[in-house]
Amino acid sequence: MDDLIFALKDVYFSYLGKFPALRGIDLEIKKGQKVSVIGANGSGKSTLLQILDGLIFADKGEIGFRGRKLNEKIFYDPGFSRDFRRRVGFVFQNPDVQLFCPTVKEDIVFGPLQLGLEKNEIVKRLEKLVEGLGIGALLERQPHQLSVGEKRKVAIASTLIIEPEVLILDEPTAGIDPLTTRHIIDLLIEENLAGSTIITSTHDLHIVEEMSDVVYVFGMDKKIVKSGPAEDILNDTALLSANNLVHIHSHKHMGKVHAHPHLHIEHHNNPG
Amino acid sequence: MGALSFLKDSVFAEEYAAGGGFLQSLDPRVKAITFLLFIIQVLFARSIPALFFLYGLCLFLALVSRINLGFFLKRTWVFIPLFALFIAIPALFSTFSPGEGLATWDILGTKLTITRQGLAAAVTFIMRVAASVSFAVLLTITTRHIELLKVLRIFKIPQVFVMTLGMCYRYIYLFVSMIEDTYRAIKSRVGVLVHYKSGQNIVAWNIAFLWSRSLKLNEEVYRAMLSRGYEGEARVLDEFKTQVKDWLWLFSVAALYLIILWMT
Repeated sequence: MDDLIFALKDVYFSYLGKFPALRGIDLEIKKGQKVSVIGANGSGKSTLLQILDGLIFADKGEIGFRGRKLNEKIFYDPGFSRDFRRRVGFVFQNPDVQLFCPTVKEDIVFGPLQLGLEKNEIVKRLEKLVEGLGIGALLERQPHQLSVGEKRKVAIASTLIIEPEVLILDEPTAGIDPLTTRHIIDLLIEENLAGSTIITSTHDLHIVEEMSDVVYVFGMDKKIVKSGPAEDILNDTALLSANNLVHIHSHKHMGKVHAHPHLHIEHHNNPG
Repeated sequence: MGALSFLKDSVFAEEYAAGGGFLQSLDPRVKAITFLLFIIQVLFARSIPALFFLYGLCLFLALVSRINLGFFLKRTWVFIPLFALFIAIPALFSTFSPGEGLATWDILGTKLTITRQGLAAAVTFIMRVAASVSFAVLLTITTRHIELLKVLRIFKIPQVFVMTLGMCYRYIYLFVSMIEDTYRAIKSRVGVLVHYKSGQNIVAWNIAFLWSRSLKLNEEVYRAMLSRGYEGEARVLDEFKTQVKDWLWLFSVAALYLIILWMT
């Protein structure tokens, strides 16, 4: 029980009270776990992550965080609010949303400054992060001058500097090149090995196996269709196909046309 | 598209601010205070030589800060006629400035006389505008916009106001890029020539789209701030550091201020 970070019971959420985004969600996330939430666009992944970060609140159902109920009222308590923000970090899907300061450096230090960390400690953490992520040359630049991959790295840095126990990432590899994707995944695995709980939403099946102890599949009916170990989910082609996560791909090979599900995950199972 | 490029260049170009000249090396706070002193001095100076001296000093500072003088004069003298000439020209004549006549014209039976006092008043006024506009432009082109914003804090402008200005600056670029992309998309589908009625529709649609996009962005950015612990009052890392050079500069400008005040 002590290991339980998040526990959701029968959670419902709708936008403007009439557009359902989540329907009857039950899930549990334990300390140190890697959890992936996969599903097609509009299946409710981002909504779920924002609920986990206490940015929006469920219409119905219960959300528990380390044994306490998460609701709007509890965030009125500055002590709880500050403690929660120190423990849970969120990386938004659109880095332009997260990088709102005039310079990269100001964006990275924004979180710890608001959370009341000592300036010396902030500078120490900043130096360590900058070295680890290789973003020293970006510090004095303005966020709009960065490439998408650089923005993504800076957005992650701006959350990692808080050193949260739980890291929630909304499509961290969307729209970035394979090398930057690799850097980001390596970084997240490192964080997980150091004890962080990592919750990722994605529809990029390449990263699911590495980023998941448990995978939750969201369907277009805004419900969890299936959950389980990454291997079981990724091998269930019918499930992935029914939820718009793979498509039938045809191509010419040795003069013949082949058609098969477009998974791109075979190389994880057959390295080299 | 031309207007958008001009906006991008004029608002976001910081090539001189990033240069390695004298003014760029000063602490922005000290620089802002000394430039404020210069502008106050220009506004109160009554002697024409003192105004010419201050204007000359401004050009000299531009030179030692590696500013292209042609670019600087163009940038400043674009505004000066707007502010000064239309007011200064009537002041030349005896109708507004009676005194010792210097030149007289007879136009349709009306005598127009330029007086010595009128000329002095017009030159003083133009030089005041020229010098103060030049100091203001020199400050803005030798200081990065974000540093200028931070300087506002020393004048006790509330942090939330400074932060909002910074965000406006940050997101204007995003919106300008969005408008550019939208116009390119329109151009790729309908070509360059658009009927004025369709043009009006496109502009109206764009305004509505930007409005709704900015509302959504506003909500998302606020959530991103909340997520990192924002509680209504932003805290910032103050990193300005003054050096001996800054104090020497401040002392020199203050001394010059007093000398000019005493001489005039």
